[in-house]
Amino acid sequence: MSVKYIPVQWNPNKWIYDAVMLAGVALFLWVFLYLTPEVLSHDQPVTAQIRNARAFGACAFVMLTVILCIGPAARLDRRFLPLLYNRRHFGVMTAFVALTHAGYILNWYFAFSSSDKLVGLLYANASLGQIAGFPFELFGIFALICLLILAATSHDFWLKFLTPPVWKRLHYLIYAAYFAVAAHVSLGILQDQKNHVFTVLFMLGAGAVIVLHLAAWLRERSEAAAKDGAWAEVARVGDFRDGYAKIAKLANGDRVAVYLMEGQLSAISNACAHQNGPLGEGKIIDCLVTCPWHGFQYDVRNGRSPAPFTEKVPTYRLRIMGDMVEVHPDANPPGTYVEPVPLPEPPPEPEPDVPEDGATA
Amino acid sequence: MSEKPFFVGYLPAPGPLRTFLLTACVLLIAGLGSAGFLMGAAQDDPGPGAFRFDYGRQTVTGVVELTPYPILHVTEGNDRIQPGDSFLMTAGGKSGVDSRAEPLAGQLAQVSGVVLERGDLYMLQLRGGRNGLQAAEGEVPEITAEPQGRWKLAGEICDGKCLAGAMRPGRGLAHKACANLCLLGDVPPIFVSTQPVLGEEFLLVTGPGGTRLPRAAYDYVAQFITAEGEITKRGDLLVWEIDVDTIEVTP
Ligand code: HEM
Ligand code: FES
Repeated sequence: MSVKYIPVQWNPNKWIYDAVMLAGVALFLWVFLYLTPEVLSHDQPVTAQIRNARAFGACAFVMLTVILCIGPAARLDRRFLPLLYNRRHFGVMTAFVALTHAGYILNWYFAFSSSDKLVGLLYANASLGQIAGFPFELFGIFALICLLILAATSHDFWLKFLTPPVWKRLHYLIYAAYFAVAAHVSLGILQDQKNHVFTVLFMLGAGAVIVLHLAAWLRERSEAAAKDGAWAEVARVGDFRDGYAKIAKLANGDRVAVYLMEGQLSAISNACAHQNGPLGEGKIIDCLVTCPWHGFQYDVRNGRSPAPFTEKVPTYRLRIMGDMVEVHPDANPPGTYVEPVPLPEPPPEPEPDVPEDGATA
Repeated sequence: MSEKPFFVGYLPAPGPLRTFLLTACVLLIAGLGSAGFLMGAAQDDPGPGAFRFDYGRQTVTGVVELTPYPILHVTEGNDRIQPGDSFLMTAGGKSGVDSRAEPLAGQLAQVSGVVLERGDLYMLQLRGGRNGLQAAEGEVPEITAEPQGRWKLAGEICDGKCLAGAMRPGRGLAHKACANLCLLGDVPPIFVSTQPVLGEEFLLVTGPGGTRLPRAAYDYVAQFITAEGEITKRGDLLVWEIDVDTIEVTP
């Protein structure tokens, strides 16, 4: 791995990806701009600038829809992952297409007046208090700004500079942009047109984005739930003895020592950090798990040796299902604190049958 | 997982995945093409309005009347524009001719420009400066205004120039901000009535008492509304003095 930034590291797959993407966009625009006017054959066709603006706007919307579908599609079927791989290029291109749309609008609808185009854009329609006739352009401006920010920060440099978590959070702006575009279109062209084909396509596109995201989310949730079934049984609640452990063997072969200390259960790795001694065969001395082999000690709640020692062993999550104690097979990093799980109160002794007053009467 | 084909960004895709990806690419391109077709082919007909450069430049003479938007009542026409016609004027871009017309109010003037036409609505986009609008010599006939009473109308306020053909389409919500910008530039507003009124579909719309369309009415531009107001016939043009308080949006 190198930390040098080379503007774009091209490889054959990127060329293919970009070529496919460009071909799709070019086809969309060409068909919209040059093929359909022939089909429509209006006496006085839609003005070229308006047609251009619409073609680029519609194209940007479709591109954005495809981009937002790729993510969940790849989560649902890993074969889509290669499409995810260069999605940034797709995003940058969408920003350019959207910018072209805004440019045509600005240089046509908002040009030729005595005021500045951008000023006109912001003040010409001030009907903020109504739905029909709302200045839907504002949503377009917001979406465009989002897309431009994302395009500008799409390079690896920014990923490194901002750190992946910040970058990733920033790139969630894509959802804000998509909602804004949906509002832009819903308050604009959808209320305006007589032919509703665009409306249907718009709803199909937005619907696909929503359904795929939901499907991917549900799938992940059910996978997480299925993983839930992987919790390993340790022993019954009643089998634990204070100060001693029960040992469970996980599917991957690792062993876990589950200790009962002062009515609370905690789990650590069975392998001592010293020489892999069986911690579960030790016992708790002075509140510390003590290894039977050489006496290394660990706090059972976080797997750490008491200061000044620095040994650490992994910890595990526990839960009680019915009266069965179960351990989660994924080990926590050594030294991770886990809140101990209190043993449930033993059920109260059944009270001796006291005859109710008057029952004998 | 390990038995599934694994894609590494910079290596050629493995065989089975290659077929899948090829299919995905073809579908993507075809899908974008079809979307382009369907969306392009769904464009509404913008109607018959257009600049009539094919008519050539028109030069006529008439009386200027401020309503307050300047009207020309033609006294001396040509083979397209007849004496007795009354029409609205605009300048290039999103601006009206008010400042040029005001000094000539009530006087005879010669105007020259290109026609914007939509059905029986037409407008002249004047040439710049004196070439477009200048005082003319001659007898000034009296222009009488004929009151037609108070009317409640349903329809849409548009900017007259885009509607007449400067933009196709030049009406509707998508075009609202653009229309407002025209009106702010003194392009005369036109009311497109859903039912013919006294034989006309298009009326010049103003504020009450010969004022400009009030700013409060701009919120309703490009929407279907009903409103009340006095109609006056000036030459062969109907002028509707809209009462802003009576405007109601029709769903
Ligand atoms: C400064 C930013 C923007 C402005 C001022 C703007 C303005 C407009 C206007 C005035 C229309 C109506 C055009 C008409 O039908 O005559 C429109 C339509 C549209 N816009 Fe935008 N827009 C902006 C940004 C965006 C962005 C970022 C997107 C998508 C990513 C977008 C997508 C669309 C779509 C899909 C339509 C409908 C196209 C059609 O009529 O078929 N716009 N926009
Ligand atoms: S292995 Fe545990 S103390 Fe040596």
